[in-house]
Amino acid sequence: MRCGLLVACLALLLGAAPTSSAPAQEVTFTSTQLTPVEEQEWARTTLLKPFEDESGIRVQFVADTAGPYIDRLLAETKAGRGSVAVTGTLQGDYPLLVAQGAVRDVAPLLRELEGRRDRTFVPDVVKSGQISGIQAFVPWMQATYLIVASKQAMPYFPRGRNPQAMTYDDLLQWGENIKQATGQRRIGFPSGPTGLYGRFLHGYAYPSFTGSQVKKFKSPEAVEMWRYLRRLWGVSHPSSFLYNFMQEPLLLGEVWVAWDHVARLLPALRDRPNDFVVLPSPAGPKGRSYLAVIAGLGVPKTSPNPDAAARVIEYLTRPKTQVMTLQGVAFFPTVREASGAVAAGGLKAMIDGVTAQATARDARTALLPIGLGARSGEFVPLYVDTFRQIAVQGRKIEDVLAAQGAKLADLYRATNAACPPPDPEERPCRVE
Amino acid sequence: MDWLPYALLLPTVAFLSVFFVYPMVQALLISVRGEDGGFTLRHFQAMAQDTYFGDALRNSLVLTAITIPLQVALGLAIALLVNARFRGHEWFLYACAIPLGISDLAAGLIWLSVFTERGYLNAALRGMGWVSQPITFLSPEHPGWLYGAMIATEVWRATAIVMIVLVAGLQLIPKDYFETADVFGATGWRKLRYVTLPLMRPALQTALIIRTILAFQLFATVITLAGRIVPVLAGEAYFQYSQYRNPNVASAYAVVIMTLSMAITVIYLWLLRTRDVEAARG
Repeated sequence: MRCGLLVACLALLLGAAPTSSAPAQEVTFTSTQLTPVEEQEWARTTLLKPFEDESGIRVQFVADTAGPYIDRLLAETKAGRGSVAVTGTLQGDYPLLVAQGAVRDVAPLLRELEGRRDRTFVPDVVKSGQISGIQAFVPWMQATYLIVASKQAMPYFPRGRNPQAMTYDDLLQWGENIKQATGQRRIGFPSGPTGLYGRFLHGYAYPSFTGSQVKKFKSPEAVEMWRYLRRLWGVSHPSSFLYNFMQEPLLLGEVWVAWDHVARLLPALRDRPNDFVVLPSPAGPKGRSYLAVIAGLGVPKTSPNPDAAARVIEYLTRPKTQVMTLQGVAFFPTVREASGAVAAGGLKAMIDGVTAQATARDARTALLPIGLGARSGEFVPLYVDTFRQIAVQGRKIEDVLAAQGAKLADLYRATNAACPPPDPEERPCRVE
Repeated sequence: MDWLPYALLLPTVAFLSVFFVYPMVQALLISVRGEDGGFTLRHFQAMAQDTYFGDALRNSLVLTAITIPLQVALGLAIALLVNARFRGHEWFLYACAIPLGISDLAAGLIWLSVFTERGYLNAALRGMGWVSQPITFLSPEHPGWLYGAMIATEVWRATAIVMIVLVAGLQLIPKDYFETADVFGATGWRKLRYVTLPLMRPALQTALIIRTILAFQLFATVITLAGRIVPVLAGEAYFQYSQYRNPNVASAYAVVIMTLSMAITVIYLWLLRTRDVEAARG
């Protein structure tokens, strides 16, 4: 008995390493996404496991925050030799990686993937990966913002109008109809301290009304927009300033029509898929602007194994894998075919809504501002503070826009950053 | 020379130096240093020009001025009641001390569930048939309600600490004083006015100082109940640091909070100085 134990221990000490069957290949996949511990665990055990089984390639997934992640890639580029085979991060990180010569042009790979006929990448999303003349990444996953409405709000939608092609005027009229009929204000925005209402202002309202995120900050069109927003605020739930996530007010019935980030609306749809409908964000005089938060997959120039990297990318962009990603971590597909792969329920409603918004005839993609460096934290609050002064404190629109516009201009001048789309690519971006 | 007292003080001094003095000095330096490392008042100017600064300063002062007298009065009443040693006073003391174990964020959430449109208060009002439509208590259109909710939460949450300090202070008063007062036929009110309250000065001083310092750090309950519609100093320090990523202006806010807390503490020390000190001076 004792002898057996000893042998077992010896086997454990000496034998385990050489006898375990190591996969033929191993690749390192770094990312700034899926960083929470549960998501990392999910990526290793659920997302990448089928790929490992099928290909015999072991994927070492390393999730990190932007700082160390970029430092590592740039250090490997500088050294001319790297260990990272494939990498995935937000669109906003790629200009820096391209400028430093850290990533390859993946246009041939993208063409090959599109040639497979089982995946059609959303064109705007592909375009966002075209940086300084190269295709810097293959679209991986995306997040956006849209409207979820309770079915009890639908009878109040302006008569003769199509909710799937909603305009900002329709939204206001909708809120007014509800208010008139019920005496309550049932439109809700995440205007709480950590809510994402700022994104609505710079990525949705501004480009839809002015065709610009930054340049036309204080234009006559912007003044009109702020007049509109003041009226919209008048039919919005008076506690909107407390809401950080919209799923709860929706589920409680406090709010009937809510605009928010998909991940912050999805729980409501998952809980009660039959009670809600998903609608695209509204269209303004300059189109239906929406923010696409895009993550892309790139191959470092120093990738030790570009062929295996291509196989990882092929796997991650399969419609089936994209649906798995959606179900696991609520990031949306970048290929149209994924939409058909979800049978029913809240996820199906959400995925249809996201696709409808992205492919609407008048859709205009706005992208997050990039290049503000250490001062990027100042961008969104500039819009939120403008809103506070105009809509909540009731100050004169032109005065507030002049003062806040000066701050915005100073921010862009100081950082020499380019305008974010749909503004023209001008550096530094000037506020007119 | 006997070094023992100094040796005994050493751990405390070391602790305070590392965890209080050092960060304080650090915050002060960050608030007055420019990018080139030189001295500048730019961050304080930026803070003063901030949209939220004026409101935050006013709200912090107003909330402190309203909640602290309420908390001291209520804390004193509970302490005197407990000291009367009625039947079950121990249970009463424990019940009153419960909020001590609850974080300010949790306290904010508890009261949020009371005051929201679908909260307990509206449910009760509707249940009793007093209102047909729920009332929106938490809205910038009803600043009175908003302030009321914040004050109620703060009083509920932080009266316990005042009460504990006052109960301890009350129990330190020697029985002889009350017995002497009885001999001279003092009424209950006169005993409170001329014996209890004067002898509780050190305890009151401690309670006031602790509460004032904590009141200027007031943050989580306000954020939970009023978002940023009612900005306060500590909240703005947080937003400057975490959202705007501007540690300099955040530190400027911290320095303002520190200066206010220190100034008010000095005023308390002066107003409530004990007779021994006065005697020593005289």
